[in-house]
Amino acid sequence: MALTEPAVEVTHLRKMYGYNVALNDVSLSVSLGEVRGLLGPNGSGKSTLMKTLVGLLKPSAGFARVLGLDVDRDSMMVKRAVGYVPETPRLYEFLTAAEYLDFIADVRGLGFQEKSQRIKRFLGALDLEGKEGDMISSYSQGMKQKVAIMAALLHHPKILLLDEPLNGLDPKSARVVKELIHELSREGVSTIFSTHVLEIAEAICDRITILQHGIILAEGTSQELREKAGLPGSGLEDVFLKLTGTRDVQDIVEALLR
Amino acid sequence: MISRLRSARRSFVPRGLTSRPLLIAVIGVILFVVSLLGGVATESFLKVIPNLDVQSLVAIIFGGIPLFFVGFYFTMGLLWELNASAESESADSVNWLPISPSEYVFASSLSTEYTYSPGLMIGLGFSLPIAIFTNNLPAYSVLVFLAIIASMTGSVGIEVLRSALARASSSFNRVGGRPVIVLRIVAIMLILVLTQLLFNGFIISNVIGSLVSGASSLSFVPIFWPTLAVTKALESDVVASGLFVILSLALFGGLSGLAVFMKKRFWVLPSTSIHLSGKGAITGPSRLGFLGMSQLSVALLRRELRSATRRKEVIRLIVLPLILPVMIGFPFFLTPASRPSGASSPPAVSAILGAPFLLGVGLGALVLAMTSMGQEGRTLWNLGALPLSAGRIVRAKLLFTSLITSIGLIAAAIVSSLLFSLSIYSSVLLLIIGFIVILAEASLGIAIGSRFPDFSEGPRPRFVTVTGSIIGTVLGFITLGLMVAPVVVAIVLASFGGSQAFVSVAIAASGAVGLAVAFVGYRLSIGPVEKILSDVST
Repeated sequence: MALTEPAVEVTHLRKMYGYNVALNDVSLSVSLGEVRGLLGPNGSGKSTLMKTLVGLLKPSAGFARVLGLDVDRDSMMVKRAVGYVPETPRLYEFLTAAEYLDFIADVRGLGFQEKSQRIKRFLGALDLEGKEGDMISSYSQGMKQKVAIMAALLHHPKILLLDEPLNGLDPKSARVVKELIHELSREGVSTIFSTHVLEIAEAICDRITILQHGIILAEGTSQELREKAGLPGSGLEDVFLKLTGTRDVQDIVEALLR
Repeated sequence: MISRLRSARRSFVPRGLTSRPLLIAVIGVILFVVSLLGGVATESFLKVIPNLDVQSLVAIIFGGIPLFFVGFYFTMGLLWELNASAESESADSVNWLPISPSEYVFASSLSTEYTYSPGLMIGLGFSLPIAIFTNNLPAYSVLVFLAIIASMTGSVGIEVLRSALARASSSFNRVGGRPVIVLRIVAIMLILVLTQLLFNGFIISNVIGSLVSGASSLSFVPIFWPTLAVTKALESDVVASGLFVILSLALFGGLSGLAVFMKKRFWVLPSTSIHLSGKGAITGPSRLGFLGMSQLSVALLRRELRSATRRKEVIRLIVLPLILPVMIGFPFFLTPASRPSGASSPPAVSAILGAPFLLGVGLGALVLAMTSMGQEGRTLWNLGALPLSAGRIVRAKLLFTSLITSIGLIAAAIVSSLLFSLSIYSSVLLLIIGFIVILAEASLGIAIGSRFPDFSEGPRPRFVTVTGSIIGTVLGFITLGLMVAPVVVAIVLASFGGSQAFVSVAIAASGAVGLAVAFVGYRLSIGPVEKILSDVST
């Protein structure tokens, strides 16, 4: 792949669930080493876009390329290059964390030495050392999230697709993950990162894409988004609420209290 | 809440049925009428048999009904418990809604009672004409009352068991480690074998026979009190019948109280918190590598084995191929009649004596394979997001099913060898044919299971749709039939003076049929698995 070619390229992507349109004519491009934030209200199509990029969903129309590979046609190659954390990771609850990571490493083809070292390092970094022998079924949501993040990173992926990866993480682990994304970005790893925490998006993302009803509403750096919304100097929350057309929050609260 | 609990008990009964209470009532009425006609036909048939002790027969039928329904309701509840996903049960909204233990026990047992009430209608419909024609209507009225009490006793009994299991699981989980996993498998195997014994005709008829002949020791066993109330009513012993009615009601009341008490103490099954040693979890090169298995194949196989031995709702499936041959062997062990011996027959012919066991092994493989895709449930994304081809996944599931079922096959071959004095050659032949049966049924099972998977993780996951189960079972039997057909033809020919060599040729033909089905099943599995992996909507 030429250096100028984007790491992720989505062109006129459309995804239907029966008669419901989840993604409608979505086009975007993410460069190598870029951290792209995906923002949008619940049901805006963020997770569908991630799943399509990792090959878990077939596009209804349009196409998506990852490192120049068509996600539909070359799905095996794409899956080798991508690390994915779903919105609600359902792990194998009958395995221990160590067994789960061992399984992922084996499927990814990591050798014994490498997988042992990496698993140990990740368990230590995310405070799961000593708990790796417990069945995942006894883990809290945050601990499961940590295991999912480790599994996504084990094989040195070139692309990271992280669907609300900081959900349930304690502040220290959240910080570790954010720093890790920064470092990986410097090494050329591209990340697509969806979140509802706008401060996090602003802090770690190079560019932000706002989705609503399966359509891209706006795209750019946080500064560019402020300008588009006509709210220079405002917080990203105000920008987001204005761009997504959310009616006055105070009215909603009053309606709920009535 | 009753409706909510009833719809959770859907594994044996389709969801469409449990969600429509009126439909259950209609089915109950239809079954009552059909059984009533069956009872009339039976009575007419019995009339023409000379020197028949009708009164003893009526005692066995009437006395058997309450005993059967205590067992029937308890077993249905028990099987529901074995299949229930602990995770799902722990997260059930019923647990955190403002519902008292007594309300829960009342609603849950009533929902069990109503869901399986068509079974009760069969028993009552069948016995009504017999009661009319043998002038036993007063005893019938006692029977109706006690059959309902007996079934309620079974339903409430299962509520006690649920709480007891929740308590036992907490203790088990605290102990932790692999011994717990092994203990759980053994316990479920024992429960299933004992349950099958409960429904064994030999045992039930022996017990009723003892009751009718007045074995007083059984009077002290509470489960027999409803039956004794009915048999005493048939003997016109009003006092004894009344006493056993009161005792039956006391048993039901006592169990209800115990169920409420235990529900209060141990409400819900806690999530599994077994700790296994972290050491050794990171695996080195497998010894199976010498057999040509890659690191990836070994990882997939290991995952399947761990899933099968650690998930309560899956353990019952892996024990099926192990206990089915045992169940099929019951008549051989329980019948005093002399058994055929294969010692004097040619090896190919004597190997056929073990064929009935292969039916159990084959059906076990079929069920295990049919449910193997649906078992992935909402964790399916794990496979979908990994660079795994559909063929690789199908082969892993095939290997796992064959491995587990082969244990049942080896047990069946050993038992057959001992029962029928088979030679080593015959036993090896039985193993080879058995393995081909496993391959054929497992491949067919995966082909069906991947076309009709049920990924829902309700309180009682089914793993394969009802349509898939029916189609798979029919095709499974057809496959077994196709494999048996050449052997049957050869035996018929041999009995009419044909050569014994026909049997050897026929066994080879059966093997070829089995291998062909295995190949076709495997090929037909790839497409649906590919489709599942490329459109994971969970």
